[in-house]
Amino acid sequence: MQQSEVAAPSSAWVAGKGEPLVSLRDVFKRFPSGRQQVRAVDGVSLDIMQGETLGLVGESGCGKSTLGRVVTQLQPVTEGSIFFEGKDLAALHGESLRQMRRRVQMIFQDPYGSLNPRMTVGNIIGEPLRNFGLAKGRARDAQVQEVMRICGLNPNFNNRYPHEFSGGQRQRIGIARSLILRPSFIVADEPISALDVSIQAQIINLLEQLQDDFNLTYLFIAHDLSVVRHLSDRVAVMYLGIIVEVADGLELYDNPLHPYTTALLQSIPVPDPVVEKDRKPIILAGEIPSPINPPSGCRFHTRCPIAEAICSEVRPDLVDYGNGHLAACHFAGKLQGSLAAKVAEQSVAEVRQALIADEPGDNLTPVNA
Amino acid sequence: MTTITTGQNMGPPIAPPGISEATDYSIAPEQVSLWQDAWRRFRRNKLSMVGMVVFFIVLLTAFVSIFWTPYSLYAQGLGDVAAPLTLQHPFGFDASGRDVLSFIMKGAQVAVVVGVLTAVFTSVVGIAAGLAAGFFRGWVDTVISGITYIGYGIPNLLIAFLILFITNRPSIFNVIIALSVTSWMDMARLVRGQTLALREREFVEAARATGTKNLPIMIRHVLPNALGPIIVQATFLIPAAILFEAFLSFLGFGLPSPDPSWGAMVSAGLQDRFLTYHTMIIPSLALLITLMAVNFIGDGLRDALDPRLKR
Amino acid sequence: MAAILEVKGLKTQFIVRGGIVRAVDGIDFRVNKGETVGIVGESGSGKSMTALSILRLVPEPGKIVEGSITFDGRDVLAMNDDQLRKFRGNDISMIFQDPMSSLNPVLKVGYQIEEAMRAHDRFTPEEAKARVPLLLRRVRIPDPERRAKEYPHQFSGGMRQRAMIAMGLSNEPEVLIADEPTTALDVTVQAQILEQLRDLNKELGTAIVLITHNMAVVANICTWVVVMYAGRVVEQGPTEEIFRSPQHPYTWSLLRSIPRIDEKLGGKLLTIKGLPPDLTNLPPGCKFHPRCRFTVDRCFTEEPELMTVGPQHESRCWVQMDNVADRDSDIREVPVVPEAENAAV
Repeated sequence: MQQSEVAAPSSAWVAGKGEPLVSLRDVFKRFPSGRQQVRAVDGVSLDIMQGETLGLVGESGCGKSTLGRVVTQLQPVTEGSIFFEGKDLAALHGESLRQMRRRVQMIFQDPYGSLNPRMTVGNIIGEPLRNFGLAKGRARDAQVQEVMRICGLNPNFNNRYPHEFSGGQRQRIGIARSLILRPSFIVADEPISALDVSIQAQIINLLEQLQDDFNLTYLFIAHDLSVVRHLSDRVAVMYLGIIVEVADGLELYDNPLHPYTTALLQSIPVPDPVVEKDRKPIILAGEIPSPINPPSGCRFHTRCPIAEAICSEVRPDLVDYGNGHLAACHFAGKLQGSLAAKVAEQSVAEVRQALIADEPGDNLTPVNA
Repeated sequence: MTTITTGQNMGPPIAPPGISEATDYSIAPEQVSLWQDAWRRFRRNKLSMVGMVVFFIVLLTAFVSIFWTPYSLYAQGLGDVAAPLTLQHPFGFDASGRDVLSFIMKGAQVAVVVGVLTAVFTSVVGIAAGLAAGFFRGWVDTVISGITYIGYGIPNLLIAFLILFITNRPSIFNVIIALSVTSWMDMARLVRGQTLALREREFVEAARATGTKNLPIMIRHVLPNALGPIIVQATFLIPAAILFEAFLSFLGFGLPSPDPSWGAMVSAGLQDRFLTYHTMIIPSLALLITLMAVNFIGDGLRDALDPRLKR
Repeated sequence: MAAILEVKGLKTQFIVRGGIVRAVDGIDFRVNKGETVGIVGESGSGKSMTALSILRLVPEPGKIVEGSITFDGRDVLAMNDDQLRKFRGNDISMIFQDPMSSLNPVLKVGYQIEEAMRAHDRFTPEEAKARVPLLLRRVRIPDPERRAKEYPHQFSGGMRQRAMIAMGLSNEPEVLIADEPTTALDVTVQAQILEQLRDLNKELGTAIVLITHNMAVVANICTWVVVMYAGRVVEQGPTEEIFRSPQHPYTWSLLRSIPRIDEKLGGKLLTIKGLPPDLTNLPPGCKFHPRCRFTVDRCFTEEPELMTVGPQHESRCWVQMDNVADRDSDIREVPVVPEAENAAV
């Protein structure tokens, strides 16, 4: 593999403004599962620009968390390259990979599972400094307390254990740990989905504040599209191991090109009963298929309301439709407007039909009623 | 689920200047730590507490016997083996006319040394092997697991005999080695299982993500979180080792004659069975009481520390 | 409309080491025939315990210590075991967040649904058997005859939840209580389940009590909302009224702290400071005051009753929200001043 080649090729990817900080090129990740293989990430190419937040959304099992772990090299890639600051992380091993961890950090989903219950908060947050021999004793304590203060934790609590903190505070501890090495790139894997609703906003605001103050670049992985919309500059939508659409945040939400994105966006209820009353979402049939044996052609064709013969045969490429709006669909942009409304109407009607099919006139009404 | 908590969480925020409005300074509900919780549950277990007291007395006796026993172990002919028990010699005399109480006390020392040292040796070897196998997996695991599988196939007694024959000089140290060689495998299996589970936990992943090297991950992150089951297993090793040593000594493969093992005493007492029973019964009782005490402690620790058995 | 379920002054407590956990601390609400009621709150608000209390399924060492639950004129708290068995399933049934834990892993799904019907006498054994595939088809499980013969682990998460709904509806209960039914599911599957629940309500007239932390889900299917905090009802009323004009600071803040899919507004989200309360050691006065941004002196010492603040709209607050919060301004704007004032108090 070519090692210190500057990330560049296929200019179609350089979509956002400025320089890419991280570039994924044809990244594959497969896990053995018995005799078969789980194709968790199946050919992803993506650029993450300096200073931006790229939201990565998708449903469970789409491979978004695996992609996050591959980008941080917590799991090795099966194939492909991950360029970061001019180096291919996928080609690094051992000590050179460890040194790179000073620049790339991760925030984990589970505020309970991601902190060692047998270590004090000060030791947890200070461990990265210790790992790289960056500060000792008093100096380390001072840095730990400083970063605790930045993350909204009481610096005097550095000798307490994680179990003495609430979920939101533990997530702040995890954020402090990821921040103390002053990385340039942070992968946040569902950092708020395990928190209470009234706490989520605190963490979202903290992440935004830190990005401004420390010039961070985020890969923000989430299943909650509302949160992603709030936080992200650009959004990538993942389905069964591949990216089906990438666009600027506003563009994606206003003008989704891929039918999956359209359905995904419509699936999300709005906290406003007036809007909800008239909203008719497209209800997709079934659930995400198994990544062991993904559907042929377009992966989404088994659930797609506008699929045609070609969709099950030819896998569509991710094509630029202008302004860095990319989509992988043979009929990109078709499921919009009146067609979308018609499809939604139909899908809702199908749910209803199933419900009332056996109601009147059949012999199942109770005899002794 | 309702988290059961005590303490105050509504204290006024103590904010130093210059903190953004996102600051969350409220103190979380105080919760008891795992160790405090374990100690509370352990204390509730009456048998374990009795076991603790008894084992403490055994330890104390063993310690005292280093410096003092009522009579010298070398003083023979103090009385007749068939003589009735008296206040001066509450446990009577053995066949050589030596004071049995003094031997029981010294025997406690042997039991404690063998039990505790075996537990320590076994734990050290077992933890190291189990950590390596569980953490690195691959060929390291194959080799270590392979050795344990072969080890399980060979009877413990045979291995102990082999070692004692090879060294050809029975001593406390050799007995401990013989015991450790046969019993580290259980510990290794336990630690391997714990490590396999713990290495998949998110905090271990987080440690790796912040550039922690393998050895610190094992020592700082994996081992402390496996300590509960390890302590339980090590505690149960003590009575097992004491019993095994007594058994070897009973068979005559244990410690050489002047070292007073309880097992050897039972064996010797067996020779006196036509004259008296106390030389056999008293060391047997000492053995029985000590083993039960440590087993009760182990049971209590398991209930207190092993989360798998938590209600 | 006639009330089918009425809860009055209900208190459910757990006596534990370290005090009494007041999980439900005096709540009143009613569910009318065929209505969809949403009970909203975060973890520890008592919303799930309310549901379990209604079915008298409060786990040990919890106890219902006060209050009354009336179902269709019958006193639920006075029912004996036999009546209770008939009541659960026949009159009211419940589905949970994690369908796997409520399905028996070693029994076929169809058999379990059949069992649920056989436990009651509405259907003969033959009818029960015949109804299984129809119930499964009704919740849109494809190929229901074959699926009925499969085990729960062969079902996906969404299908399990749909099977649970089918089971919950098998005896045609008057009320279906759904405790976070979509929380563990993906959004596209959530949309399916919500659409189904809505239609079940419309077509079969089953009243639905939806317990959730998600305001958007409530807005989607409920006509009446009960907002819970610290084991109490802090606000209740018709859904449109509550969302249009929330009168309790908790509801008000909650609605402004969650990002919305249909709009992108710059700036920071409004936050609710602090933590949900410790149920063994509740603060004096209004239970929300340590986290509230609109407190007045009274809030620290005196707890307000539920007061009528609009047509059918009740709120438990001393402050008139219309006076303190400018609802017409940009809702995302962080009111810096009240925050600072609070910190100083």
